[in-house]
Amino acid sequence: MITVNINGKEIKLEKAVTVLEAARSAGIKIPTLCWHEQLEKYGGCRLCLVEVEKMPRLQTACTLMVTDGMAVRTETEAIADVRRGILEFLLINHPLDCPYCDKAGECELQDLVEKYGPTTGRFKEKKRRVTENLQDPVIVRNMERCVMCTRCVRMCEGVQGASAIGVIDRGGHSHIEPFSGNRYNCEYCGNCVSVCPVGAIMSRLHRHSYRPWQVKENIETVCPYCAVGCTVIAQVRDDVIKRVVPRIGSPVNNGMLCSRGRFGYEFVGDPERLTSPMVRKNGVLEETTWEEAIGLVAKKLAEIKDRNGGDAIAGIASPRCTNEDNYVFQKFMRAVIGTNNIDSTARMGYAGAQAFIENIFGQGATGNIISGLSNSDTVLVAGGDPTTINPILGLQIRACSRKGGNVLTIGHVRGLRNFSPVELTPGGGRETALLERIVSELVSRKGLPGSNTILESRIKTVVDAAGAGKADVSEKDYPDFIGKLTASGTPAVVIGKDLLQSAGSGYKLFLLCAINYLINGRLYLLSDHANEQGMLDMGCAPDLLPGYRPVGYAEFRKRYENAWKTKISERPGLNIFEMIEAAGKGDLKAMYVMGENTVFNLPDGANVEASMRKLEFLVVQDLFLTETARLADVVLPALGWGEKDGTFTNMERRIQRVRKTVNRAGMEDWRIIAEISKNMSFGMNYAGSEAVFEEITKISPLHRDLTYDEIAAGNVIYPYKGEPLRGAVGEIPLNKPETASDGKITLGIDRVLFHSGTLSRKSPALVKMYSESVARMDPGTAGALSLKDGDMVRISSKSHSIELRLSVDGEVEPSVVLVPNIFEGKGALSLAGNILDPVLKAPAVCATEVTVESVGKVSS
Amino acid sequence: MEKVLLKNIENPNSADIAEYMSVGGYQSLGKALGRNPKDIIDEVKKAGLRGRGGAGFPVAMKWTFASGDPKTPKYLLCNADEGEPGTFKDRPILEKNPHMLIEGMAISGYALGAEYGYIYLRGEYPAAKHILEKAIKQAYDKGFLGDNILSKGVKFHLAVHQGAGAYICGEETALIESLEGDKGQPRIKPPFPVNVGVFAKPTVVNNVETLANLPYLIEIGGETYSKIGSPDCPGPKIYCVSGHVEKPGVYELPMGTNLKDIIYTHCGGIKGGKKLKAVIPGGISTPVLPPDKIDCQMDFVNMPKHGSMLGSGAVIVMDESVCLVKVCYRALKFFEHESCGKCTPCREGTGWLRSILGRIEAGQGQEGDVDLLLSVAGNMIGKTFCPLGDGAASVVQNFIKHFRPEFEEHIRAKACMAQG
Amino acid sequence: MDIKDIMFSQAAIKEIEEIRAKYPTARAALLPALYVAQREFGWLSPEAYEAVSEILGVPKAIARGVGTFYAMYKNRPMGRNVVQLCTNVSCMILGAERLVDFLKNKYGLEPGGTTPDNRFSLVIMECIGACGTAPAMLINDDFYENLTEKYIDEILEKYR
Repeated sequence: MITVNINGKEIKLEKAVTVLEAARSAGIKIPTLCWHEQLEKYGGCRLCLVEVEKMPRLQTACTLMVTDGMAVRTETEAIADVRRGILEFLLINHPLDCPYCDKAGECELQDLVEKYGPTTGRFKEKKRRVTENLQDPVIVRNMERCVMCTRCVRMCEGVQGASAIGVIDRGGHSHIEPFSGNRYNCEYCGNCVSVCPVGAIMSRLHRHSYRPWQVKENIETVCPYCAVGCTVIAQVRDDVIKRVVPRIGSPVNNGMLCSRGRFGYEFVGDPERLTSPMVRKNGVLEETTWEEAIGLVAKKLAEIKDRNGGDAIAGIASPRCTNEDNYVFQKFMRAVIGTNNIDSTARMGYAGAQAFIENIFGQGATGNIISGLSNSDTVLVAGGDPTTINPILGLQIRACSRKGGNVLTIGHVRGLRNFSPVELTPGGGRETALLERIVSELVSRKGLPGSNTILESRIKTVVDAAGAGKADVSEKDYPDFIGKLTASGTPAVVIGKDLLQSAGSGYKLFLLCAINYLINGRLYLLSDHANEQGMLDMGCAPDLLPGYRPVGYAEFRKRYENAWKTKISERPGLNIFEMIEAAGKGDLKAMYVMGENTVFNLPDGANVEASMRKLEFLVVQDLFLTETARLADVVLPALGWGEKDGTFTNMERRIQRVRKTVNRAGMEDWRIIAEISKNMSFGMNYAGSEAVFEEITKISPLHRDLTYDEIAAGNVIYPYKGEPLRGAVGEIPLNKPETASDGKITLGIDRVLFHSGTLSRKSPALVKMYSESVARMDPGTAGALSLKDGDMVRISSKSHSIELRLSVDGEVEPSVVLVPNIFEGKGALSLAGNILDPVLKAPAVCATEVTVESVGKVSS
Repeated sequence: MEKVLLKNIENPNSADIAEYMSVGGYQSLGKALGRNPKDIIDEVKKAGLRGRGGAGFPVAMKWTFASGDPKTPKYLLCNADEGEPGTFKDRPILEKNPHMLIEGMAISGYALGAEYGYIYLRGEYPAAKHILEKAIKQAYDKGFLGDNILSKGVKFHLAVHQGAGAYICGEETALIESLEGDKGQPRIKPPFPVNVGVFAKPTVVNNVETLANLPYLIEIGGETYSKIGSPDCPGPKIYCVSGHVEKPGVYELPMGTNLKDIIYTHCGGIKGGKKLKAVIPGGISTPVLPPDKIDCQMDFVNMPKHGSMLGSGAVIVMDESVCLVKVCYRALKFFEHESCGKCTPCREGTGWLRSILGRIEAGQGQEGDVDLLLSVAGNMIGKTFCPLGDGAASVVQNFIKHFRPEFEEHIRAKACMAQG
Repeated sequence: MDIKDIMFSQAAIKEIEEIRAKYPTARAALLPALYVAQREFGWLSPEAYEAVSEILGVPKAIARGVGTFYAMYKNRPMGRNVVQLCTNVSCMILGAERLVDFLKNKYGLEPGGTTPDNRFSLVIMECIGACGTAPAMLINDDFYENLTEKYIDEILEKYR
């Protein structure tokens, strides 16, 4: 126990902390400026100088650690003089343009001067003049106002790990700049904006549009983008989201945000949002009333159900919609339409992989706490760049490296390149052999733990198989890699979608599971949709009821039938690919697509479109008139993120509240479906989303007894009071793929940090960061095809071709062309084939063979 | 006194290892390696050797802290960032007697258990870089550096790291930052470099002159060494004298030589028989002294009693023709240029002081400016992150303390009286 | 093609890699590597920073922050010969400012400027450790001391 005396007050502390922390714990305020709780201590601004007995000089409270018996004074006459003096220094070059400055009202310097500062200035010379820099589309830099606390730089370099900005020059000439001096060209996390105490670095999105004190509402909700589920605070004025900020202390992201989360909110009020239902009349979509649209949907679906049976209808759920939306949707499909034909784009990898892993390790095997990554001693990354797919999770891997942990990657991971990764880059064809080799070597170095006999028998099969473990590991870093992996004590394995969408994905995933088992690691399955996990939890799968109860078991089904007071079909439904196929063959008559752009987000969009056109009746419910919505017979506009209440469940299984931030006319997805249901004589009467959630908690064993109030704090991770499913390990299917033929160029999905697709392309700030899809290729491959940086190229597959500008980039794997799936008509998936992995049932998008040819040089 | 540190420097080949060895060079290293490292530290302690960089910290104490820290490897850094204006005492060692420094570093490295050393050489000494690199290569070739020095199983590697023009890197934690490839900005202490220094390892930073004392100290023994010069801080000391004296230059004298004697006896008095106006005794950041205050022993203990400091022993002598407002202005221009920008009072205060001094110097001073200078300097003193800001403020305070009438006259007359 | 191959000669890359080997971290080689870049290209252009950044794996914004902190790195193009004249106190009281005027008047060389023929740039230095032989200057890597106007004329002749 340490006892310190601050201003005569005895403070007892369990452990040594800084004087500043000790004072704050006792409610004693010491002014600070450069100090920030998220950042390394700095001691630069000198505002927190205090008197300490037996120390001749004044001491900075933010850096000095308390010792037992220390006596500190923070409010003496001399200290008041010091604070006045320091603030006078800060003001000599700081412009007093507060009436014009957006920061006024939440400016720390303003507040400090008001409380401690001099009333007049004695500086008679000219102030430093620096023109405000508006070269960047998103961030405005005003270096006149900068007080050189360097919080932004410490944030960028230390916590974010982007190192995109730095202090340039020195002394009184110091200023902060991105490398270019103008545009940031950075990760655009905007965390520098968060920590700037003055108006030196600010977001342009809300520039001069409101005053901080005019924000009446600070609404805490969850980000609509990826599955990390960051807490965001929407600041609203006049029913417009003016700004999105993080909150320090929030679960998952603790004060940090990424580009999408911070700057991607403008889609909410986008003028192209659908406002009224539309019905196809004479081949043209025309606006109509809700009454007509809902009546028509109910009538047509009932007709088809009567005529062709419920299984002639299928539904596609949405990983962007809330748990409530998805729950009601699958209930509608099962209870009203009478089919298990419900699935989603989670079939693109996440659903299959999760089921595969949980079959081996038990439920929740992929639901590990994200912040735990930074405390791992070793993180193995395979199948993608976590810093772009799930940026805030990526930060935890960077933090692991900063704390001295090992980062091991299979493939080059650009976002981790400055974090001392040990990289093995086997290239697509040799990946399987390398993983086999690692498994064999781990078995021989560490032995089999003996806890999972079914898994071990499969591992033995692999190790014994001819050829296994003989992979070419000539890479110089292999010994380091395997050494660190073997020696790890608290490892984690992070698996991205690139692996799940490659050839032989099921087998590779098995090998990664084997590695994870042998090193006793924790698994993280990356997901790029905010509620992909929750949607699956809600039973939006052809074979699983809410809470993952298999539809095929009568005793499970019985419970749901009792709750819904209707029969549930025992036949598992079609998965999303089977739906498209069935539609193409004419077997499927109608589809109801909720919040999904299937034409764009499934492989071979042309085929998807052609198949869907054959449907007798297509309902699409969405925010925008997407490629898919344009095919619909009825288009229903739904309320989107920010406009409705509900819950999301992130990749950790953390159930979080999503809140309404602005008012908009219209209905939530679940409410529209409930209305249709009523029209089909099946009563679904929910007073609000909370009522839907209440039903979920009664029916899903994972969500048992939860309430909105209870999850509001953000620390409910299921099974919280509920029960997990933990059956015996089932059969582990192994399906070793043929080795891919060399020399061909294959497609890769470029998962761009700034985009998600449908929502991001309607967010102007994100479009400004990345406005045009670019294909990337390594110099060797490009050179062999006589392609140059900046060329327009045509990329063609068996099914489709698109034209994009080429960027020659040394960080791309040879023989791969990376294409993003963001902008209409330029999507990578349009090129992809539909070959499904026999185990995961996910398409081997990354095995698509393509040709790349120049279509001429384009200037600029 | 026979020359120790500047021994043999008139010999044009003094930097060559053969010449150095011909006058007994590297014998102390052999002698030291035959003894227990702890004994060497004791010997240095007995000698009472204090760091020559300016602060006068007891060398043996620093070594003891670092050698006692269990972390390895340990590092020995030679501070050759001689940047204090007026100082040019290390340059002759670096350029003419590099092997004395290398030998001193090898002995020190052995004593404190450091396996790696770097000479942090200021960027303004490009010639010294080549000389040192050549000398280091010679020392490797002869087995005085390397993995197995003199076949005694002792390891010490040495390289030159060139700074790039930043006075602040003379501060040891800034030097460490700079060696690590960062800006030279001082670190928060604790932890101290002896525990968490360069590359987070125990690190000793010693000045060139300090380290160059080692071969001699080992040769004659701590007991004998302690009898040279001032009893509280013994040993030979290089004083470097510039400005208005007849014979400016470097003078190796016993520590504690009287400042007056340095100027009038060794340097031949004021140039051209002019009148002495002021002396800066230890480099620009040490307090200026008026002519009636220069009868003082130049060492770490006595100078503070006379209102100044030994600093680097860089004596700048100014005769009656000098405008002290201008000198003060130029000094502040220097501090403003060299402020690293980390802390508020130094970053903003040096520039503000410089601008007030600038307007006084330009004949645009205003009534109250002298008090304003004192107030601004007062807001800096004791509040800055490192001693650079204190130095800047104290320059202003001391110039005004001793020469206030000249400043006021400058403001009143709107012109300089000194230079006519 | 990587930027470092466009920018650096193979010899310079090798030199930087040798420097790198003298330190336990790549970052520590940043200052010497910037010197190599400056020598190769005359000044530290954005491309030079990028090249150094790529070789050492140090983020380019960090490299530039470091390179602009130190006075001896040139962040704009320089003349063929860089006159580095000290005007600190010891040199000043012995007439360094007169020499600044001399360079301006006779050679058109302003502090911080470059002659139109690109022959000389003038950089005002803080103390260069030649106070006992003041006034003093460096031209490129060469020391010149006890300067006078006449002596400067002679010295400058040697640099074309």
